[in-house]
Amino acid sequence: MTKTIKTKVLRYNPDSDNEPYFQDFDVEYEPGMTVLDALLFIQDKFDSSLAFRWECRGGQCGSCAVKVNTIARIACRTKVEPDEELVLEPLEKMPVIKDLVVDMAQTTFRLRRIRPYVARDKKPERPEIIHAEEIEKVREIRKCIECSACLSNCPIVHETWDYPGPMIIRQLARLELDPRDVEDRVAMAMNESIYSCTTCKMCEDICPKKIKIPALAVELLRAKAVEAGYPLAEGQQGFVDQINKTGRAVPEKNPPLLKAIETEEFFVDNPNGRVAFFTGCLIDYRMQNTGKALIDVLNRNNIDVVVPKEQWCCASPAFRTGDLNTAHAAARRVTEIFEEACKKYDCDTVVVACAGCGKTLREDHRPFIEEERGEPPLYKVYDMAEYMIHVIGKENIVPPKGEIKMKVTYHEPCHLGRGQHVFDEPIEVLKLIPGVEYIEDPYKNRCCGAGGGVRAGQRELSQKIATTRKEYIEATGADMVTTECPFCTIQLNDMMKESSTGMKVRYIPDLLAESYRKGDA
Amino acid sequence: MNYKTIMCDVLVVGAGGAGCRAAIEAASHNLDVIMLSKELLGKAHTAMAEGGYNVSLGNVDPDDNPETHFKDTIVGGNYLNNQKLAEILVRDASERVFDLEEYGAVFDRTPEGKIAQRPFGKQSWRRTAYASDRTGSEIMVTLTEAIRKTSVRVFDEVFATKILVEEGRVAGVTAIDLKYGDYLVFRAKSVVMATGGAGRIYEVTSNAQLDVGDGYGMAYEAGCELIDMEMIQFHPTGQCAPPSAKGRLVTEAVRGEGGILLNNKGERFMKNYYPEVMELAGRDQVARSIMTEVVEGRGSPDGGVYLSIAHLPKSIVEFRLESMIEQFEDAGVDIREEPMQVSPTCHHFMGGIKIDEESGTNIPGLYASGECTGGVHGGNRLGGNALADTQVYGALSGESAANFAKENTHTGINQDVIVKEFEKLEAMLERKEGISPADARDELTKLMWEKVQIFRKEEDMQYAVKELRRIEKDVVPNIKVDVRVKRFNPGWHQAMEFEHMVMTARMVAEAAVIRKGSRGAHYRVDADPNDKGYYNIVIRKGEDGKMELRKEDLVITKIIPP
Repeated sequence: MTKTIKTKVLRYNPDSDNEPYFQDFDVEYEPGMTVLDALLFIQDKFDSSLAFRWECRGGQCGSCAVKVNTIARIACRTKVEPDEELVLEPLEKMPVIKDLVVDMAQTTFRLRRIRPYVARDKKPERPEIIHAEEIEKVREIRKCIECSACLSNCPIVHETWDYPGPMIIRQLARLELDPRDVEDRVAMAMNESIYSCTTCKMCEDICPKKIKIPALAVELLRAKAVEAGYPLAEGQQGFVDQINKTGRAVPEKNPPLLKAIETEEFFVDNPNGRVAFFTGCLIDYRMQNTGKALIDVLNRNNIDVVVPKEQWCCASPAFRTGDLNTAHAAARRVTEIFEEACKKYDCDTVVVACAGCGKTLREDHRPFIEEERGEPPLYKVYDMAEYMIHVIGKENIVPPKGEIKMKVTYHEPCHLGRGQHVFDEPIEVLKLIPGVEYIEDPYKNRCCGAGGGVRAGQRELSQKIATTRKEYIEATGADMVTTECPFCTIQLNDMMKESSTGMKVRYIPDLLAESYRKGDA
Repeated sequence: MNYKTIMCDVLVVGAGGAGCRAAIEAASHNLDVIMLSKELLGKAHTAMAEGGYNVSLGNVDPDDNPETHFKDTIVGGNYLNNQKLAEILVRDASERVFDLEEYGAVFDRTPEGKIAQRPFGKQSWRRTAYASDRTGSEIMVTLTEAIRKTSVRVFDEVFATKILVEEGRVAGVTAIDLKYGDYLVFRAKSVVMATGGAGRIYEVTSNAQLDVGDGYGMAYEAGCELIDMEMIQFHPTGQCAPPSAKGRLVTEAVRGEGGILLNNKGERFMKNYYPEVMELAGRDQVARSIMTEVVEGRGSPDGGVYLSIAHLPKSIVEFRLESMIEQFEDAGVDIREEPMQVSPTCHHFMGGIKIDEESGTNIPGLYASGECTGGVHGGNRLGGNALADTQVYGALSGESAANFAKENTHTGINQDVIVKEFEKLEAMLERKEGISPADARDELTKLMWEKVQIFRKEEDMQYAVKELRRIEKDVVPNIKVDVRVKRFNPGWHQAMEFEHMVMTARMVAEAAVIRKGSRGAHYRVDADPNDKGYYNIVIRKGEDGKMELRKEDLVITKIIPP
């Protein structure tokens, strides 16, 4: 018997329908089937008037982007999952013409507004000499096929067209990087709200051409803006100044973790491993208990924990906002501190419990240090949940025994999931806790609006993004949302204070430590 | 019957490489230019061209020059090319590639900072300029950027259905706004057809869904002459599996960069067919060699042969063939490690609207460029010559159309003709009984794939002609759209295209029947050895409405066929 896929398609003909409605189709599954194949099957077998765009079926023209199970992707290169329902909707932010076909007028208008071509002030010589290294970066960012899926997925565009979206910011970067273009693309980027991006990387994740828009476009243009003398927003500059002065992005309030602990060494009797703990600013200065919880959890699992007392900020705020001097100085310093600590204590692993720090250590420090000195940092970086599941091993984790009877959902930090490819590990850790009923949030990987300097620089926009996120979280019906990033935690906590649901926000190491402690009693 | 009329000086029908280039050129003459795009701007089939753009810059092989490019083009075209047109191609290819760079194109470079060039089939030197294996995409992106700088008014998702001819010259087109179903008339002083090819009349094709031969059908109906319609290029290397990817192009650059073809015995079989040039023989030659291997039982499991690039350093494959890696990754094949399975796929129409050295047709004011024209490539097109064609003839047609528009006013219009056309389209929606466009299309593409294919024989083609005449008479007037909705209704779009497909297919089959010998892409298993084939077949619609075919002498300037 042929396998069938339940496919729901959002239909709408504004000429005759009051509102959009879902129509269900049974699509015969074939191995290797793409979403476009499914749509063509429906058009062929059930309804030839079903409207969607497609042309090349090979990921080259960018016509066929639609929302596939909540996330916009190009249909011709998205495989149908044989055991999942398929829900297809039109792209967001663009008015529906019919069914899955949307009006691209806004996108076209926004593109034209940035004068999206190589502007010249004189005719070039023929032939024009351009060296490969001058266009190396353009070449990467040039592959865009204007499918517009990233616009539909962008949490910033979702809130406001003040920001033109990843695809268009990418075009600005493409022109800024082109040695032939004479326009001031940095000024244009400022005018196009370049500092609105939270660097959530959703655009990069779904990009059919895998263009690293946050790094190659957003952060690049921001770095150029800083270089050109544009000031950072007050809140962002505050972070950066603080880092340069104290090695911490935030000012001291309560006694910091690193000052409160009496030793660097948290060793166990029969260790199965040893790690150095990179606390990050917020765990050190604001979430001391989370830091202690992490040490406790690792010790309970027979892991020696080294906590170097002289730590330095990873400078994520500087990397994200474009202050590369601060960023690079910090990268060198952090590398030196942790290489020394690893050498002194004979270990090669650094564990991080902050998504932002982990992403920065892995995606920013590593390539920078490697390029500068020809060798990457000598240690490996793990997120805590990732370390537990993959290094300690799920089967070796000492089971927490204290029951925490709650419905718990998970908010995936952008810089943990898309930033470090740690997707399921935190959920696996959560599920170890007795009593926890895990509730999946279909929007779990949606940005909370805190990152990329947006919370610091544009609080109002940041809160709008957070409010949207909050509504999705509340819709899960959970009692508690957990996460693994201090920044997300603070942001969500702020939002949930006003929630009528009484939703609690917890950091996973805290919850895990609580279960262990309860189990002791 | 309500319709809306839109005026302009120059109308360009089609928004691929040639159409965009024509529009840019025409707009530079201080004229009001409209470009109609059946798809969204930038999504045209040009974006799928992979390997490159032929231009004898001599950047890597300094001995190359336009003369050699000309010779390769004529020899490759089996001497059927209109040599005047081929001369223009090789003459202007360099200026047009520099235009693209001026607009912002990013081609890969030589160490000196010039445009890099790679080897392609049947070319004496490394001549093909490229941007990795996404050259067409690079050009399409560049032209899209350039169009956004000009005053060209782009009407996208507007589909032209008929060329209007009044007072003995072109008057404009009838069209439909695919988004909302509105009927439109575009009146222009001159018109450029740049509607691309018709790979979609074959069941297996590398072409995008829009390539159904609209331009051939419309030009024929309008009274244009068409040439070499029997010459269909089957690209030797199309993807074999999975079914939904069948026919997708595997760029010639794979072989250009050193890829080898193997049969199921692991034998590099090209040595048995073309030992001197091996994998870089002409596309028609490689396609026939592959099919012979398959037919004789030496094929791969999915009905093709193996194409391997795995012996090359991974870094080269990753830099120069990035799209291929992506394309086969989707099919679960890592081309850096394992061979691809490939078989021929319908790829390019060498034939098309007959043009002169101004890119003009036999209808005054009507110009044409790109794949919808015939004559430049003769019996077989060299890989890399199509992109060059779009730019050279795109610019030329734009310039000629602009000049004509400057010297002429709008013609009058005949409302009866317009209303009749729209009534025909409307009837497809209103018909109670009839044939669905999807079924009709399946029947047509299967017929062409089976009967007018790589290896041709008389009885097959006769059968195809008979069937196509029947389809034209019985099916075309009875096409019925299932759902009676005008707003973005793909069923209706298909129905409107179907007539163009049938006319195109008929011209291919009827011309193929008359050509009794083998020549170029037209290969007969029952070839008449006395027919050396040094002529072109020209088609037009006769006074009586019947298709007229005649043989014409070749246009020769420099190279006499052997």
